[in-house]
Amino acid sequence: MSFDRRQFLFALGGGVVAGAGLSEIAAGLAAPTGLLGPVPVPHPAWAPGVEQRVASACLVCPSRCGIRGRIVDGRLVRIDGNPLHPLSQGGLCPRGAAGVQMQYSPGRLTAPLLRAGPRGAGRWRPLSWDGAVSLLVERLGRLRAAGGPQAAAVLAGYCAGSMEDLWRQFLRAYGSANYAADAYADGGDAVMAAMHGVARRPAYDLDRATLVLSFGAPLFEAWWSPVQAAVAYGRTERIREGAPRPRFVQVDTRFSRTAARSSEWIGVRPRTHAILALGIAYVLIREALVDADFLAAHVSGYEDWSDAAGGHEGYRTAVLRRYRTEEVSAATGVSVERIVGLARAFAAGPRSLAICGPDVTLAPDGLLAGLAVHSLNVLVGSVSRPGGVLVGEDPPLAPIAAVTLDDVARRGLAHGPLAAGAPFGEGGGETGAERGAALAEAIAARSPGSVQALLLYYANPLASATRPERWAAALARVPLVVSFSPFHDETTRQADLIIPDLLPYERWQDAPAPASYPYPAWAVVRPLVAPPTGALGTADVLLAVANRLGGTVAASLPHPDMHALLKARARGLFAARRGMPFGDAFATEYQRQMEERGWWLGGGAPAGGGGGFDAFWTRVVESGGWADPFYDYTDGGRMRRTPSGRIELMPADVRRRLQPDAGPYDFIARAEPPAPAGYPLRLQPYRVSTLASGTIGLEPWLAERPALFPDVYWVPWVEVNPATARSLGLEDGAPAWVTSAHGRYRARVKHFPGAARDVVNAPYGLRHPDGELANPLQLLDGAADPLTGLSSWATTFVHLERA
Amino acid sequence: MPRWGMVIDLDRCTGCAACEVACKSENNIATVRPDQADMGRAMSWMKVETKIEGDFPDTRLSFAPRPCMQCDNPPCVKVCPVSATYLSPEGIVGQIYPRCIGCRYCANACPYTAKYFNWFAPAWPDSERAHLDPDVSVRPRGVMEKCTFCDHRLQQAKENARAAGRPLRESDFQPACADACPTRAIVFGDLDNPAHRVSTLKNDPRATRLMESLGTEPKVYYLTQKA
Repeated sequence: MSFDRRQFLFALGGGVVAGAGLSEIAAGLAAPTGLLGPVPVPHPAWAPGVEQRVASACLVCPSRCGIRGRIVDGRLVRIDGNPLHPLSQGGLCPRGAAGVQMQYSPGRLTAPLLRAGPRGAGRWRPLSWDGAVSLLVERLGRLRAAGGPQAAAVLAGYCAGSMEDLWRQFLRAYGSANYAADAYADGGDAVMAAMHGVARRPAYDLDRATLVLSFGAPLFEAWWSPVQAAVAYGRTERIREGAPRPRFVQVDTRFSRTAARSSEWIGVRPRTHAILALGIAYVLIREALVDADFLAAHVSGYEDWSDAAGGHEGYRTAVLRRYRTEEVSAATGVSVERIVGLARAFAAGPRSLAICGPDVTLAPDGLLAGLAVHSLNVLVGSVSRPGGVLVGEDPPLAPIAAVTLDDVARRGLAHGPLAAGAPFGEGGGETGAERGAALAEAIAARSPGSVQALLLYYANPLASATRPERWAAALARVPLVVSFSPFHDETTRQADLIIPDLLPYERWQDAPAPASYPYPAWAVVRPLVAPPTGALGTADVLLAVANRLGGTVAASLPHPDMHALLKARARGLFAARRGMPFGDAFATEYQRQMEERGWWLGGGAPAGGGGGFDAFWTRVVESGGWADPFYDYTDGGRMRRTPSGRIELMPADVRRRLQPDAGPYDFIARAEPPAPAGYPLRLQPYRVSTLASGTIGLEPWLAERPALFPDVYWVPWVEVNPATARSLGLEDGAPAWVTSAHGRYRARVKHFPGAARDVVNAPYGLRHPDGELANPLQLLDGAADPLTGLSSWATTFVHLERA
Repeated sequence: MPRWGMVIDLDRCTGCAACEVACKSENNIATVRPDQADMGRAMSWMKVETKIEGDFPDTRLSFAPRPCMQCDNPPCVKVCPVSATYLSPEGIVGQIYPRCIGCRYCANACPYTAKYFNWFAPAWPDSERAHLDPDVSVRPRGVMEKCTFCDHRLQQAKENARAAGRPLRESDFQPACADACPTRAIVFGDLDNPAHRVSTLKNDPRATRLMESLGTEPKVYYLTQKA
């Protein structure tokens, strides 16, 4: 019952008051009402707004920063940084802040869809959630009953922590080894595997480094964690620790935002990063600036050596013989004075760090170039020491459950993965897109039926792959394609079943810090807003499917839902007697110093722990997660896991795979092929910060400001040197076709003096407002590094013409 | 009486534009259509300005986040015929939307191009309506809008401090851009309060203000080695 003012007065004046309304009217009278003011009328919808701030973590890029959602009346109205998260420390990137626009994106799918017409026709029939789970159970169960569980495969994009563990455990218990990653990769794990025998991507102690020499690493843009780099960039001097603010030096072929904000930017000719790195090494060796004690104690392959196979050239000889400064200068275009100055600065440090990025490693000799860059760290001993290259560790979570295998699973697993990985491509299970590509090739090459069910989790290979036509061919051979994408994309169009995941702000998940961060940090993602009625996250769908498949599959995944799974895993943190729920800067530093001295005071000291596991879990969830801020620099063995127990500058594994007459550091001898006729410009694809995966349309806020140019928005662009563009008759903003021997796409020409004359810088992952893809990767020549399997982004040539 | 001001350390800015997006999210800034953006009508109260010089490989590019300068002697206030834009006692230049007649004199007077005009009624599709900040009014067609140093947060901070019976602290009132900045390049506070970092940073030898010669007395200071 509700009244407006007139009805209210009428009711009073008439003296006729319905009994049911009596208390409401009495309430209205009791309130102070001015003669002319509005009469407050109670109405359920007028309850005062309820505001909450809830800690969670961002899942839109691999950085996985801590966030805090501002929720008003159940709506997520804003995303702030979580100041307690040790990596992001309250900072945020534009993509993280724009998450609210993803949450309310009009295109999101809220119910499962079953294909109703032929593939690609776009006709769908909605399905209940239970129906979708039943369908999956039925199809996967049938496959298993027929003794062919190995014919199920998973292609997973951004997937880390318990979600990845869950997929892997599900597949293993089910009986398939076909898990392929389709995510960001920069070959860092291959470098670690080759030189250190460590199956993990490198961690960088950016917080304590004083000189960061980056070879093509997009530190402030689309790196593992742009926020980690930004926090280090913005940190204050730490006088007591002898750590002034770091200097950043950027070596690259592309003048990027990172280059713009570095203290020094060094533009090199394409594909000469490694030559410059070894030119620096030459000066370090010549001027005796290397850390001789470190090399003698922990490194092999520096000096020449001989074994049963005869004498071998060591690193020192290889570099001194080939990388004379004048020749390096001629090859790279960097002056002799600059090379020498760079080398001296790197040696003077005191805490220098060389980082290698995708502009270097996504090349036919990418791993070797990565080794050349990383060798600088080894030369000055910047390994396992403050400000150097470190190796992080996973948080000590309890396992999901013991995996039990039945005979079907054992036989399925015995088949091994369909797609054999590259020799250095599998460290830590985080290497990239290329394993996805290998899976596509394997599906297309094997007999039909080798994959019966393909599950796609945050993977859109028809848009992101270098060779989408191979994926199209592969998908055509798979009878059941299931996508878990919450948005329609190129690949969902070819799927048979879409079971949309919940959005990152609606579900329980965990978010371990990326491997580039040295300390184990485990953020908890929790629902900030209610999901659509009845909707299930992919994790819960998987757990339900496992449960209904029964037997050993159910026994291996015994948790009712993701929340229960996370809570069970957190028992490992509770029992580890180390680390703490996220705390402020003081608490974190206190904890670090205590642990350094061998103390552990209950976690969350000085506030004190206590209260058993449930209290611990509550603290972890409310603060946003758990972290251990202590790194043991004295444990150098973590970085020396090779069979010899030493860091291998001339890795035996790599040498074995090279031509007999070639060494790993022969870049300068290799002639670079000239541009093919008709394609005068080198294509340099790169990721934009806001678009690390680039498989969905941009949020409007990001589309208004996707790049560093004030006049570039909404429409994909390519960066061309103004002189080059003018010689082609392309004015600033002109629409153009970018064409290689393998394909073409449309983009706007942006005159940019930061582009070299013979290079086209092409951002990757953009779309036109009408949805048309503008993907430079689909123009690539198909070259790849045989050692890592990563495709080459740096060897394709294009020409531009007006569109 | 506090005098709110901002210090932006350009030597710490990576140009990531987190401040821009955080501001749009906080202040319900409408997204204009792409063809309107082509006419320079996109709105961004906080805008990272860029300047590119030189040619490859000797390219230089600098960034400067540009909020409203919140001048102590604001040219926009002087030309407003209806007193829609005003200088508050605490130094914040505000805009009263119902009073604004859309003459755009203030936009022309502002040397920092910090004022934006609503050429059309902003479109608020359901997808964007859902995440509107309930503390900030949306603007109709035909009025100017501008950065307010997140004035609404100041009101809340004062009320919270009063309720808790304590004076306002530096951390109580921070605008959205300063909150989001991952490098902490944006520092905000009371320029006259020695306990606030801005009061010392503004006297840093690197400190400078935009177009000081105009006598606008901006309360946004930039720190840069290069100036």
